Amino acid sequence: MKLRGTVAAALASAGILLAGWQSGTQVNGISTVASSTTAAGTTGATGSGSSGAGSSGAAGSSSSSGSSNSSASGTYKGNTVQTRFGPVQVQITVANGKITDVTALQLTNTDGKSIQISNRAAPLLRSKVLAAQSANVQTISGATITSDAYLTSLQAAIDAANL
Amino acid sequence: MQRTSNPPADAGKTVLDAGKTVLKARTFECMGTVIGLTMPVDFPAEGQPGLAEFAAATAVVERLFQDLDETFSLYRPDSEASRLARGELKLPQASARMRERYAEAHEWRLRTEGAFTPERPDGVLDLSGIIKGHAIREAGTSLLALGRGDWCLNAGGDVLVSGSPSPGTPEPWKAGIVDPADRRTLITGYALGGNSGHEAIATSGSAERGEHIWRVGNEGEFVQVTVAAADMVTADVLATAIVAGGTRMLDRAADGWDVAVLAVRADGSMLATPGFQPA
Repeated sequence: MKLRGTVAAALASAGILLAGWQSGTQVNGISTVASSTTAAGTTGATGSGSSGAGSSGAAGSSSSSGSSNSSASGTYKGNTVQTRFGPVQVQITVANGKITDVTALQLTNTDGKSIQISNRAAPLLRSKVLAAQSANVQTISGATITSDAYLTSLQAAIDAANL
Repeated sequence: MQRTSNPPADAGKTVLDAGKTVLKARTFECMGTVIGLTMPVDFPAEGQPGLAEFAAATAVVERLFQDLDETFSLYRPDSEASRLARGELKLPQASARMRERYAEAHEWRLRTEGAFTPERPDGVLDLSGIIKGHAIREAGTSLLALGRGDWCLNAGGDVLVSGSPSPGTPEPWKAGIVDPADRRTLITGYALGGNSGHEAIATSGSAERGEHIWRVGNEGEFVQVTVAAADMVTADVLATAIVAGGTRMLDRAADGWDVAVLAVRADGSMLATPGFQPA
């Protein structure tokens, strides 16, 4: 009973961590995820996505827990989680109630190798975004304009419509 | 959002439907630009407490901006920032709020490897690169404390949102990104909040007022950079840093923070991280 709970919690932690990681907060290799997941899973902590304030380290907060006496061992697969980079599935190896290994079974590439999830910038064609551009916006982001320039700005037009 | 037809501009009395929600905007001038607060406002049959609350919320935001401006503006000769700039006041003797912002700006200088800096080339302390973002952040905190969950705050093109323009629905606020070559047109749009968790978006330009962007070896690579992030100061600082630091800083930002970045070069070509790429 305790074993199942521990493993379930660990898998959930791994899933949450992966989701947080996948969201691009700290883009690192898969090894970073493995180690942070191990740390979180061992203590039964839940991961939490970093808010992106730029602090280093993986997204995961550990809290102490007295539940690591269990002698669970074995290999467990997590659910496949859909991320914005594609499906991700992890497998954990548990020895004496502690996660000793985390392997990514399914990542966005198909050959099974760990990959670098990229948030890098790529060229963007105007024709593509213009097609996707929404005319229905509620606000405008642009380089800071002076009070005078505001008068003739798109933002002023939107504000005037909502006065 | 019940976006009813807008009242005619010359109508002093607006015909309001009971129970309908419409977007309302109020603006004021501060920090050399225009700050606008937009909220979905309810119009009950009588009393219109929705509008009164909106007016109160706007007043709180304006007071907060004015208060920060009085301390941090370099355009006010009597401000604490101006006395620091003239050397009449030393940082250790400055107010706690001044030292806090300096510490925050300095931390960003380290994180961006100098692409963002709180000091001008002549050595004068200039926190204007961080104060507007800070003011927006503080205003957002105040609005939430007032119990307002749905709003869009735009300070001269830097935007922070909460909730939805259509309360109770997952509809995100949508920001249009100005084309630096023609400010009357948009390059693209970005949904704030929602799945990305990015509630803040900031755009910096190479020709920006205040000249708080000092380039670090990438002269004119990007004329405009937009960054969406979970929080306002991160978006604002990184947009400034990428204008100053070019592609190298863009890659650092994309790797190290949960951000979406859209950068426009002088020739009009663009670079975008996946968050800005069309699906």
